[in-house]
Amino acid sequence: MSERTNERGAFANAGSEPPGEDRTREPAKAADTPPRAGTPSRGRVLAPALARVTPGRRGWIAVAALLAVACYLPFQLVPFRVFQFTMVMVYAVALLGLNLLVGHAGQISLGHGAFFAVGAYTTAIMLDRWDLPHLATLPIAAAVAFALGLAFGLPAVRLRGLYLALVTLAIAIFLVPLLKRFESVTGGSMGLTLAKPAPPAWTGLAEDQWLYFLTLAVAVLAFLLAYGLLRSRVGRALHAVRDNEAAAEVMGVRLPFYKTLAFAWSAMFAGAAGCAYTWVIGFVSPDSFVVTLSITMLAGIVIGGLGSFSGPLLGGLFVMFVPSISQDVNDAAPGVIFGLLIIVVMYVAPTGLAGLAGRVTRSTKNILRKE
Amino acid sequence: MSAEGFLTISDLNAGYGDARVLHGVNLSVGRGEICAILGPNGAGKTTLMRALSGMVWVRGSIGFDGADLARRSPDTIARRGVAHVPEGRGTFMPLTVEENLRLGAFTRRGRGTVEADLERIYTYFPVLKTRLRQVAGSLSGGEQQMLAIGRALMSRPRLLLLDEPSLGLAPLVTRELFRIVRTVNEQERTTVVVVEQNAHLALGIAQQAHVLESGRIVLSGTADRILQDEKVVQSYLGYRV
Ligand SMILES: Nc1ncnc2c1ncn2[C@@H]1O[C@H](COP(=O)(O)OP(=O)(O)O)[C@@H](O)[C@H]1O
Ligand SMILES: [Mg+2]
Repeated sequence: MSERTNERGAFANAGSEPPGEDRTREPAKAADTPPRAGTPSRGRVLAPALARVTPGRRGWIAVAALLAVACYLPFQLVPFRVFQFTMVMVYAVALLGLNLLVGHAGQISLGHGAFFAVGAYTTAIMLDRWDLPHLATLPIAAAVAFALGLAFGLPAVRLRGLYLALVTLAIAIFLVPLLKRFESVTGGSMGLTLAKPAPPAWTGLAEDQWLYFLTLAVAVLAFLLAYGLLRSRVGRALHAVRDNEAAAEVMGVRLPFYKTLAFAWSAMFAGAAGCAYTWVIGFVSPDSFVVTLSITMLAGIVIGGLGSFSGPLLGGLFVMFVPSISQDVNDAAPGVIFGLLIIVVMYVAPTGLAGLAGRVTRSTKNILRKE
Repeated sequence: MSAEGFLTISDLNAGYGDARVLHGVNLSVGRGEICAILGPNGAGKTTLMRALSGMVWVRGSIGFDGADLARRSPDTIARRGVAHVPEGRGTFMPLTVEENLRLGAFTRRGRGTVEADLERIYTYFPVLKTRLRQVAGSLSGGEQQMLAIGRALMSRPRLLLLDEPSLGLAPLVTRELFRIVRTVNEQERTTVVVVEQNAHLALGIAQQAHVLESGRIVLSGTADRILQDEKVVQSYLGYRV
């Protein structure tokens, strides 16, 4: 992190000398050092999770298996559980966007929930005012969030680290009062109540199952899109920006452009997720999008695993279940339990749950191989 | 002398924030030449390289093939054909060797040419081809330096800036690196500016050399002349050749 907070031009430490190393070395003495001890600490820790943009054959099998389970699930669970897993996917789509920004482009946002809310409200207003078909609201909500992401990204990319965190937090903070003000459009603090998409008769599905499959389709689309994005030239540019801004820049990567783009994309995924949220819940109000949502999302993606594809999914589970579990454990202070859980997970799995899962698989394999 | 002046730096001042590091540097490099910049630690060699690629503030002018690079952004300068291999390599540790190399061609589009360039890089650095899927962080120091140079060559630079490529490497590896740099220079007519503390190595491949001290050029001449002048080498570089 410290590398990134350097001012432009403070390139001295950008992936170069470990602090302790004396530059006045004898020219003949130095040996061909193995990977340098100082800097890669970041790279080292992140490497297992970040290097894998391509899942490989086993990865694809896992994806197929997961999809099969996902299709089977809603026929086995009670409607309330189906609803919960639908929400897990909604959050996973939002976290996919946050992952792009934080895990892949190395920026930070404490305002992701605001773009989620923008998607949700755009959808709600379109349904409320113009009675558009549900599916038509998805691209529009995504586009509106994308545009807002661009608008906020432009000034935000000049900032780094804590300053960026603060500004994005401000976005999340001013959103709720803003929504309350434009009462005629947003319904003020009362919010808006909307019809949920009805299952077509030919499917024979119940409403909760239909919502589940709609959201699943959105999630699959979103994951494919993110996958394509990250494998492209642009994805490489984002990784370069994350790993070493100065080096990326001298290679011709226009930093402001790519950082802004990362913001806009991340907002776009949040907007699409917000749209699905409105479909599923059928109700939006300012109270659904308080500042803690943004913070919970950031916690979710960090804990899920930055830079990996399973990260958003695990993070989605976290955002959905952990706050309510905390509530169950201790009704008086759910925040305390929530916070403690974050601390424990980060202590046990510093690279997030995705990293932990990778470690467990590897060590299990090693054990099996030995026997 | 390099009258042609492919790269002509005149009255260049550069530094960080309030601190001025370079004081009125003048030098000129001919097209296709290798130019060595020597000098003790803290002389401002790295700052000079950063000034050339737009990473620090500059005053004065940097003429490069008819354009002025002073006060241009690093990515613009990269697009003009300047490739900078920074001190400490600046490879992207969590990315694979191949991803690093492909990033080098970032300023160019067109798939076919990128594939051809990858092959071209492998002929210079065969070892990279055997490490394509490995993350850069797992390479040895020498391999990382090769990757950094290979990545720079992927952009088909007209000017290659090398900042202490020998830093932290075994002598054998360093010699191999310099041999490759010379080959590249001969085959592709790439102009090279190389900063080195190991004067002997740098002067071995360079035509011109400049000694930088406290942000000023204190000595310029052909590499042969500077190499001959053992007293100069000793007093300016602090060790015997
Ligand atoms: N990022 C930086 N910020 C401020 N001052 C710097 C920075 N990098 C180098 N300097 C200063 O600039 C001077 C020249 O440094 P440098 O160009 O790295 O020298 P050299 O490469 O010849 O060893 C030194 O006095 C150093 O302290
Ligand atoms: Mg230096």
